[in-house]
Amino acid sequence: MSHLTRLTVAAVAFVALAWIPAGLDVGLKFDAALSLVWGFGILSLVLLTGYVGQVSLCQATFAGVGAYAAGMVVNTFHAGYVVGIVVGVVAAFALGLLVGLPALRLRGITLAIVTLGIALVFDKYVFQDHLFDWFTGGSAGWRVDGADLLGLRADSSSHLLAAYEVLLALFILTALLMVNLHQSGAGRRFRAIRDSELAASTMGVSLTRYKLLAFGLSAAIAGLGGSFYPLVAGSVSPQPFWVFTSLQLAAIAVLMGVRYVPAAALGGFFLAFVPDILTRNGHGTFLGRYSYDISYDWFSLALGVLLIVQLIHLPDGVWGDIHARAAKMWSGLRHRTERQVSLA
Amino acid sequence: MLTVRDLYVRFGGVVALDRVSFDLNRGEILGLIGPNGAGKTTLFNCISGVVSPDAGKVFFEGRSLRNVPAHERARRGIARTFQNLQLWNSMTVLENVSVPMDALGGRSTLADALGNPMSIFAERATTERARAILHVLDLKRYANTKAGDLPAGIQRRVEIARALAVRPKLLLLDEPAAGLDAGETRRLAELLHTVRDRFHASMLLVDHDMSLVLRVSDYVYVLDFGKLLARGRPADIRTDPKVIAAYLGEATQDDSKPRAANDSPATGEQAPLLEVSRVSAGYGPLEVIRDVNLTVRPGEIVACIGANGAGKTTALRAISGVIKPRTGQVKFGGRNITGRPPEHIAALGLAHIPEGRGLFPRMSVEDTLLLASDNSPDRVDPRVAYEAFPRLKQRRWQAVGTLSGGEQQMVAIARALLARPKLVMVDEMSQGLAPTIVRQLFEMLVILRRQGIAVLLVEQFVESALEIADRAYVFDRGTVGHEAPAADLLADRKLISGSYLGTAVDEAGGVAVGANGNGHRPDVELMETLALKVPAGVKRAIEERAEHEGRPSGAVALELLEGAKN
Repeated sequence: MSHLTRLTVAAVAFVALAWIPAGLDVGLKFDAALSLVWGFGILSLVLLTGYVGQVSLCQATFAGVGAYAAGMVVNTFHAGYVVGIVVGVVAAFALGLLVGLPALRLRGITLAIVTLGIALVFDKYVFQDHLFDWFTGGSAGWRVDGADLLGLRADSSSHLLAAYEVLLALFILTALLMVNLHQSGAGRRFRAIRDSELAASTMGVSLTRYKLLAFGLSAAIAGLGGSFYPLVAGSVSPQPFWVFTSLQLAAIAVLMGVRYVPAAALGGFFLAFVPDILTRNGHGTFLGRYSYDISYDWFSLALGVLLIVQLIHLPDGVWGDIHARAAKMWSGLRHRTERQVSLA
Repeated sequence: MLTVRDLYVRFGGVVALDRVSFDLNRGEILGLIGPNGAGKTTLFNCISGVVSPDAGKVFFEGRSLRNVPAHERARRGIARTFQNLQLWNSMTVLENVSVPMDALGGRSTLADALGNPMSIFAERATTERARAILHVLDLKRYANTKAGDLPAGIQRRVEIARALAVRPKLLLLDEPAAGLDAGETRRLAELLHTVRDRFHASMLLVDHDMSLVLRVSDYVYVLDFGKLLARGRPADIRTDPKVIAAYLGEATQDDSKPRAANDSPATGEQAPLLEVSRVSAGYGPLEVIRDVNLTVRPGEIVACIGANGAGKTTALRAISGVIKPRTGQVKFGGRNITGRPPEHIAALGLAHIPEGRGLFPRMSVEDTLLLASDNSPDRVDPRVAYEAFPRLKQRRWQAVGTLSGGEQQMVAIARALLARPKLVMVDEMSQGLAPTIVRQLFEMLVILRRQGIAVLLVEQFVESALEIADRAYVFDRGTVGHEAPAADLLADRKLISGSYLGTAVDEAGGVAVGANGNGHRPDVELMETLALKVPAGVKRAIEERAEHEGRPSGAVALELLEGAKN
């Protein structure tokens, strides 16, 4: 795809998706905005795992650092929300570089365990510890009622839709940059590391530099999504960024196809909407006799089952399968046309 | 330009390199030969920065390489290929060649992501240079194929192309001819000379194909057990008795070779053990074999020979169930096994030793064998294997991955035997092994046959294979072109040469540049273009001018160069 086509696709996607939540109720509008926050989280895994082949189970931690940093800047320094976002992204980037250091030595399962450990430490000893109250706002967390993002106020009634649209624009832009990156020289170096580190290093690719860069960029992407969280939810708390979210992000990234950028949008949608809709509409009686009540646990269970089914039947993820089918159909179509032409 | 002094490396108790010293001058090709486990690959790893030596020094262009990371060495002009192919399999050939090129120039990741004009320009320049290299190596039609989908022979060439993309001053070639047939090897020799002349690259060449090393190299060094055994001009090495003893073993005494047909059991009337009829198979959209028919009777050694890409490996895979045949039928011991899962087929007594051996590198020899004997129906004592391969007994606690190539092949065969198979299929057993080891392995196959085990063998060493085989199938472009008793084929090698050029050592005359019979000529002009190191500004000017005049930028660059010279 040329740059122009990509830009066109991006613009069409924005126009098509921007107005959708307008008619929904407040809860679903919140879900729409949240789906993009987590969409960034999964996008960060597409870069780190899909492109560079590095495992990470602490992407929600990066998002959390972005969220808390943004909340802190807005509350403590009374700065504009844009400053908060910038600080959030930079903080996440810095943490990403630190987490990348062990990745220079470790790979596969050991790296997964180390990143899981980092997620645990941040969950228990940073986000929930009084030592870091200056960063987390204490047990009350930060409230950002008065946040101001280019005239967009968290307390105004239409802020969710506006936040969604800003997030969507940024998400599409980031996705576009990532697609560009994939096809570019830097993307090739990333993929070379994924396929064979040995060959990459002996062919002039600095493993140190590109692995650290991958972790930093990935954390920054997750942090960018996270830094919008206070604006969307009105406050920050440790719960959304705990270990389990990191695991869910990794699971959903694999489920949707960790090598594909559009999978991030699918995954974000899945993680934000499905449990909410399930728990909201999941009570009642079945056949007038059996009452049921679907809790959040059902979602986790369903995710686990889906993941198993996917690993068996769609090894390349949901989007990977769609992609392959579309490519096959396209080549079949072209083949047929060519044959018709040659017959004629 | 390369100086190695007293290099010493040990892995655990094994001394891989024992105070090796040598010099390599600019523009020279230094051949390095020696039996398996002599330390050749370790030496390469030390020079390219994958392994750091325990003692000793390496200087490149007068500067020490101590503590210089691998990627920095690549930037200084040291490029290498790998014995066990290390291409980036999910990337296209073009992308594979592009990576080292733009890794050398400092391109910004951010600029790449934004796709800004500078980056797009750099991208176009990279692609063009990459295409030029592919053109030179005759790889152009694979440019957009994923490297992992290509057959091994072509992957080797892609490895060389990728190494050239580093713009090397020193090229380290680790077994570049493994898996190539004689015609391809001859072309490779020519290519290496062209590369040396045009790129002014020095080369360090490791290969088991003596004919290649002796033909191409200016000097040859012989390594044995980590020590430098001998050095000299190819002509001297060829006649050096020490070298012959260490490297070729008794391979020079041709008459002592196990002559198979003598003790072959009368098998003609027995019911066939394996019957393959009209099988076709392939990968994805590619149909690699079609209408393959072959039969193996109990206790028979059958060889499959033919050029690279003729479909031998694919045929074995289709038989053992690794890939599913699309049409046709495979019968084993009278049962239809077409399309059955590979583990079922293996349980029936059909062992498949794949190309690359399929071992678990971190498992010890003992564990590998125990695993096999536990899975076999009557739990064979692994000691049987040690009797056949005493060498493995010494190494029983060593991880398989740390063994030399020949020893690994022994483990693979030993493992297959413990499953008490009726038929063993061996794919490219001798790849990358020294002739002495290969001979031992072939003798092993004869012993197998005495025990009543049939062998189906895919082999590059045609002569050795035919010497022990009863019959042979000659594969030609995806199907069996010819079937004959091995002795007949051996006697009448002309019959084979139509589809296969064999690995006969072609001692006569050096390399006739530009006339190799394949119509392939390295493109001198393009190589010159590639070797240019042009500043970015000039490059852009060239690019613009080329676009303006509608000519390839290489031509414009050449013209400018000529102008500058005058």
